Amino acid sequence: MANSIEVKNIDAGYGSVKVLHSVSIDVQDGETVVILGSNGNGKSTLIKCITGILAPSAGEIILKLDGQEIDLIGKKPEEIVELGISLVPEGRRLFPSLTVEENLMLGAYKESARVNIEDNLDMVYEAFPVLKERSRQAAGSMSGGEQQMLAIGRALMSEPKILLVDEPSVGLAPIFVSRTIAKIKELKEQKNLTVLMAEQNFNQAVKVADRGYVIVHGQIEFEGKDAESLSNNEMIKQYYLGL
Amino acid sequence: MTELFINAVVSGLLLGGFYAAVALGLSITFGQLDIVNIAHPTIVIFGAYIAYILNETFGLDPVLIGLVFAPVFYVLGMGLYRIYYYSFERTGQESLSGLAFFFGLMFIIEVCLILTFGVDYRLVSAPYIGQTWKIGFVDFPLRMTVPFIVAVVVTLAVYFYMSKTFQGRAIMAVSQDRLALQLMGADPVKVKQSALGIAIATAAIAGALLIIIQPIEPSVGRLFIGRAFAIVVLGGMGSISGTLMAALVIGVAESLISTFYGPSWAPAVSFGLLLLTLAFRPQGIFGRA
Repeated sequence: MANSIEVKNIDAGYGSVKVLHSVSIDVQDGETVVILGSNGNGKSTLIKCITGILAPSAGEIILKLDGQEIDLIGKKPEEIVELGISLVPEGRRLFPSLTVEENLMLGAYKESARVNIEDNLDMVYEAFPVLKERSRQAAGSMSGGEQQMLAIGRALMSEPKILLVDEPSVGLAPIFVSRTIAKIKELKEQKNLTVLMAEQNFNQAVKVADRGYVIVHGQIEFEGKDAESLSNNEMIKQYYLGL
Repeated sequence: MTELFINAVVSGLLLGGFYAAVALGLSITFGQLDIVNIAHPTIVIFGAYIAYILNETFGLDPVLIGLVFAPVFYVLGMGLYRIYYYSFERTGQESLSGLAFFFGLMFIIEVCLILTFGVDYRLVSAPYIGQTWKIGFVDFPLRMTVPFIVAVVVTLAVYFYMSKTFQGRAIMAVSQDRLALQLMGADPVKVKQSALGIAIATAAIAGALLIIIQPIEPSVGRLFIGRAFAIVVLGGMGSISGTLMAALVIGVAESLISTFYGPSWAPAVSFGLLLLTLAFRPQGIFGRA
């Protein structure tokens, strides 16, 4: 049961604006890989390419699923979800006027996730008790932190093998940032997930990372083989921490 | 006086139930999909003429005809969405061109009906039309009661479909965040296509109910356009249960006004209530905040 993603030399952009220049990354089974970079460097664009929201203009994205190789380029987002890749999107993108529970149920829309829907709902409610308390409340009326939990819970309802998380810290109070990221780590271990997370909050992200990439102006500037090499890197200090 | 009042309330509820059947399809298209299907009441009239032909020719029960033609209208609705999608929505021109499209569709259907049937009033015959049940001093004319029951059952069925099935929840979600819905594994085009199918299917039933209640001619649909849109907004955009409640409120209000102040004031009720609601509770009386 080995699942991995390999992104090879992709170029991507919006119209005539090129954002990614020959970006290559890989995520191996059971890892937590982080993509670090400040705003506007291409983290979300990379995530959009992997989830089928944006088509790269060059390169390839290969999903290895139990020994099978699947080319993700040209597939629609709804087809990629079927393959076991779920995204917690930037800005959460909940269905604001639907209730918490309706949002979670929609997470299990795909055929294969409907079988275990009751168990998965219990699992999400156990991980995030506040969602159970508010199950009948409109998703849009909750706080940012609670909405982020709902977005994670909704992604887990589809029983992903690989979980992509795009900027979980955006718009959250600092206390919720560390809680959210710790929760992602906890759930990853509990569910044997493979996680790829794009994040600009360096200090929080390296706490959970097995490996990471630093993306600057659409290019991978640095690849850290472990959390240690990420946190002790001169370039990172320069770009991120302003040291 | 009390008797008059209670009878007016009951006949208002019966009328309101029928309004719900007309507004139901619009609640799905306009409320949930953001498609301004201004032709909906005219499609209801089209459904009424189908009930008329089959009733006239084979003596079939109009309600039965409506239910049998619902699946046919479902397919028509899906086809309609295909045209709408490929012509307008795909290129992002749906707001104005789409409105013009449905406006044109309304006239085409109306003119076709006029050319085929003329402008004479048509009606159906069924054993219950003309009968009235009495419970105490309260009248239940079956001409109104049968449509009321059918309309409420259909509305509740759609309500449960929307809130309890995967496809229904996807319909409620599709206009809120199309991309997020794709990330759940649903194809928004297919979701909207089936939603418009359901909306048009309800028009087949509403049409059959309409011709039980009153004789029709091709332009009767226009009387319902404003009222149906008012009900959808009053009920809270996209809320099926709200649509039912708002329809009952409008039905009762119209009935009371026409009983106590004269029928000529009745058409002002829906817009009067609409103005008050928009002023004080813009999300609709029963809308989700």
